[in-house]
Amino acid sequence: MPDAIVTLQGVDKDYPLGAVVVRALQGVDLEIDAGEFTVIAGPSGSGKTTLLNLIGCVDVATRGTVTIDGANTHKLSERDLTRLRLHKLGFIFQSFNLVGVLDAFQNIELPLLLQRDLGAAARTERVRGLLEQVGLTAFAHHRPGELSGGQRQRVAIARALVSQPRIVLADEPTANLDSVTGAQILELMQALNRTGTTFLFSTHDPRVVERARRVVRMVDGRIDSDSAMSPAAAVSPAAAVSPAAAVSPAAALATLTPAAADHPAAATSV
Amino acid sequence: MLLLRLAIRNLWTHKWKTAIVGGLLTVGTLLVVVGQALLASLDLSMSQSIVHSISGHIQVSKAGAKDRLKLFGSPNDGTEIGHIEDFPRVRKALEALPGVEAVVPMGFNNAVVYGGNILDVKLAALRKAEREGDRTRTKALRNHVRRIVGLLRGELGNLEGFVDLSRQSTEDREGHAAVETAAHDAFWQGYDADPQQAMEFLENRIAPMAMGEEMMFLRYIGTDTARFTQSFHRFELVDGKPIPPGQRGFLFNKLNYEDTCKHKTARRLDKMQDRIAEGWTLKSDAELKQWMELNQRQYKEITYQLDDLGAADVRKALQAELGSQQADLQKLIQAFMAMDDKNFAKRYKLFYAAIAPYLQLYAVNIGDVLTINGLTDAGYPTSVNVPVYGTFRFRSLDKSALAGATSLTDMMTFRDLFGHMTADRREELQRLQQGSGIKAVAREDAEAALFGADSDADEAVELAAAPTGSGAAVAAVGRDASAPSTGLADAATDAAAADLARLDLKAGGRRYGRELFGRRYNQQEIDGGVVRHAAVVLKPGTDERAVLQAVRAASDRDKLGLTAIDWREASGLIGNFIGVIYAVLATALLVIFIVALVILNNTMVMATAERVREIGTLRAIGAQRTEILAMFLAEALVLGALFGTLGAGLGVGGVLWAQAVGIPAVNDVLVFLFAGPRLYPFVTPLHVGVGLLAAGFVTVLSTLYPAWLATRIEPVVAMQGAE
Repeated sequence: MPDAIVTLQGVDKDYPLGAVVVRALQGVDLEIDAGEFTVIAGPSGSGKTTLLNLIGCVDVATRGTVTIDGANTHKLSERDLTRLRLHKLGFIFQSFNLVGVLDAFQNIELPLLLQRDLGAAARTERVRGLLEQVGLTAFAHHRPGELSGGQRQRVAIARALVSQPRIVLADEPTANLDSVTGAQILELMQALNRTGTTFLFSTHDPRVVERARRVVRMVDGRIDSDSAMSPAAAVSPAAAVSPAAAVSPAAALATLTPAAADHPAAATSV
Repeated sequence: MLLLRLAIRNLWTHKWKTAIVGGLLTVGTLLVVVGQALLASLDLSMSQSIVHSISGHIQVSKAGAKDRLKLFGSPNDGTEIGHIEDFPRVRKALEALPGVEAVVPMGFNNAVVYGGNILDVKLAALRKAEREGDRTRTKALRNHVRRIVGLLRGELGNLEGFVDLSRQSTEDREGHAAVETAAHDAFWQGYDADPQQAMEFLENRIAPMAMGEEMMFLRYIGTDTARFTQSFHRFELVDGKPIPPGQRGFLFNKLNYEDTCKHKTARRLDKMQDRIAEGWTLKSDAELKQWMELNQRQYKEITYQLDDLGAADVRKALQAELGSQQADLQKLIQAFMAMDDKNFAKRYKLFYAAIAPYLQLYAVNIGDVLTINGLTDAGYPTSVNVPVYGTFRFRSLDKSALAGATSLTDMMTFRDLFGHMTADRREELQRLQQGSGIKAVAREDAEAALFGADSDADEAVELAAAPTGSGAAVAAVGRDASAPSTGLADAATDAAAADLARLDLKAGGRRYGRELFGRRYNQQEIDGGVVRHAAVVLKPGTDERAVLQAVRAASDRDKLGLTAIDWREASGLIGNFIGVIYAVLATALLVIFIVALVILNNTMVMATAERVREIGTLRAIGAQRTEILAMFLAEALVLGALFGTLGAGLGVGGVLWAQAVGIPAVNDVLVFLFAGPRLYPFVTPLHVGVGLLAAGFVTVLSTLYPAWLATRIEPVVAMQGAE
């Protein structure tokens, strides 16, 4: 039974730009359910990043309500919003945004350290599991500067997932990657989605759109269309591209499944 | 943990910035630690110097006096510190306080002493030789005296180039005329006819003209000498013997004695010897060279004193040393004094072996009676005779001019010189004046007024031999016609007596010895008169501040009318020295830390700007503002702790090293401040703590602004593109 994690009702977002006010979002209504793999598509300036920022609680709506996992973000303090980001949201950035002075392991561990919920042993175990899932076990102690773009984005994905968030927000995750690496990253995310993580993308990359099960198209700050894609149609081009590539997320899936089953236990055990 | 790791990683990643800021912090902390250690050590050593030599821990003097007591640094002339009204009561009250070891009465004063005049000395020897009929010596001394007169005439001739003769006093003009007469051949033909007549002329008219150069300035402190030597642990007798308890006497400070009383050439050679022993060389040291040149230029200091016999011996010795046939003594001495590092030691020895025996090495000798001339409290000239018992020094301060400037005398001599008029005394004097019809007499007329026209000097001796300080006005002889008669009467010793005492100090000594110098004053008499100020010496380990409070409280309670100050304040300029150094150090540290602060602040602001995306990301993934702030502060603290510890460690190491080898005192002021030739500094945990605190404070302070800026970074910046 799908229940809405994200609900937006009549959301406007204005940016004052000198004397004029730029209306970035106008009357946006949107619901996103658990387990979705949704893409917000649209040209530059259409308001997709603004929408993502509001859902990511790094920005607040001018009007309307944004509800994340049952919490009306309008009514939360700055502190509580930060806490909400820490515990319920995962972020994947266009430019990866890793902390340069920390290695891959430490970058992934960061949200857990901020949460202060797990002991050192539990943290290490979870980070190792994620490194394995994203295929970077051998690079655990490399700093971002020593990793390729695709490796960095995989570290970023692992960091977004390490706190086991309700929803992972990805802002143009493939924009800074070549097409092959981009495809691999998308396949990884699809595999992770199958294990239950909700993904929400903003992108104007048609390859990402192709893989989405739901595409929300934005034009001039409004939702132009909101269409569900057939899973087959979404997956088929990827399957056609590289069966071999599909194996690695599958392998990741195999390891992830028991971990996913553990999620509620892990969450309640602390 | 995360914060610490991030902090360390950040510091490590920006090595150069860290090194620069760290270097500043290290130097700053090092200076804080070393500075404090040195100041504390200096304070202690200075207290050793000052407290145990002259001031005691606390000085008390009359409350509400016009000037403040200053034991060092500035001359005491004319300072009005008043005097303690009732010293016996003060002493009793203060010695009853816990922690007080002794209360020593004191009186600081300045004086002038005329050193033995070489013409007087030689004339006395000539008179003796004539009396004994020693033909050879008589001839040598006669020629010597004649040469001195010749040199004196030359000097006066030089002087005329500078002085407007028309404005000379009658006295000066007559003096010059007398010298002209004595330098003439006719005078010396007359000498052979009537030596007595000629010698009298020389003694009375010529000798006073040759006196000016031998004026010596003295600083002395009149005190209860017995109690002083007991209470001031740095006091140490060098030559002679202590002043017998309760008796009159004078002890020269050894350094001052050497500097003022010793033959100038000999003194310079001594100083050269000392400096060479310290490792300086004649070749490279300007001061040594200057002394050597002075020795060559001032050959007269030697030739003046040599009679024919002495001159012959010295000539022979110098010819042998120099391998020269030169007959001119002046040229020989100049060649001899042109020394180098190789021959200095040998010539120094030769000077004392072959030349010094013919010289009057000291203007005043131990056992002599010294005539101290000074001004009384009321400003009138006075002079008092006192026997010189010996010389002393303050232990390990023997090279310090500051500690070496002050000589010691007894309370009675001090009081005679200070001449304070008590109400009783003033009344008595007035009665005497009215009764005797005393009047001011000018110097020119004094002889006639006192003894009649054909007076004999011997009579004057007998009159002047009356005890000084008796309060009775024996005679009023004006040195200056305008001087009021009360002051002159107060200064009981008259000018004629002083002159005669100079002429033959030993003879004077014997005369006084019977009547005054042998007298023993009891404690009541010592404590009973004028006391300008007093030193309060504490028992070891006593809290100085507590006693200072107690002294003030006791003064208020018992109405003693005292003002009490600690040794720092009492020592005047020198006592402020620590304060001055402290201010200099504090300023330097302030500058260093402000520079560190600005650089660190700047660096951190730049780092913050560079890390906007990183901080935004941290905020986006759930770091609270307080955590960002903590991250920056952690970085600052790590920096401060790391380099603060390094600086403090280096500082402690430096101080310990200095403690092991000692910091040499390169000049005499430092000898005094260091309480010896070397300072052995110490460092305490407090110094280290303050250093670390300063480093921490500066880093945290400099981080506050950039950290605040960082907390203002919105998480939304993480979402913005990479451009």
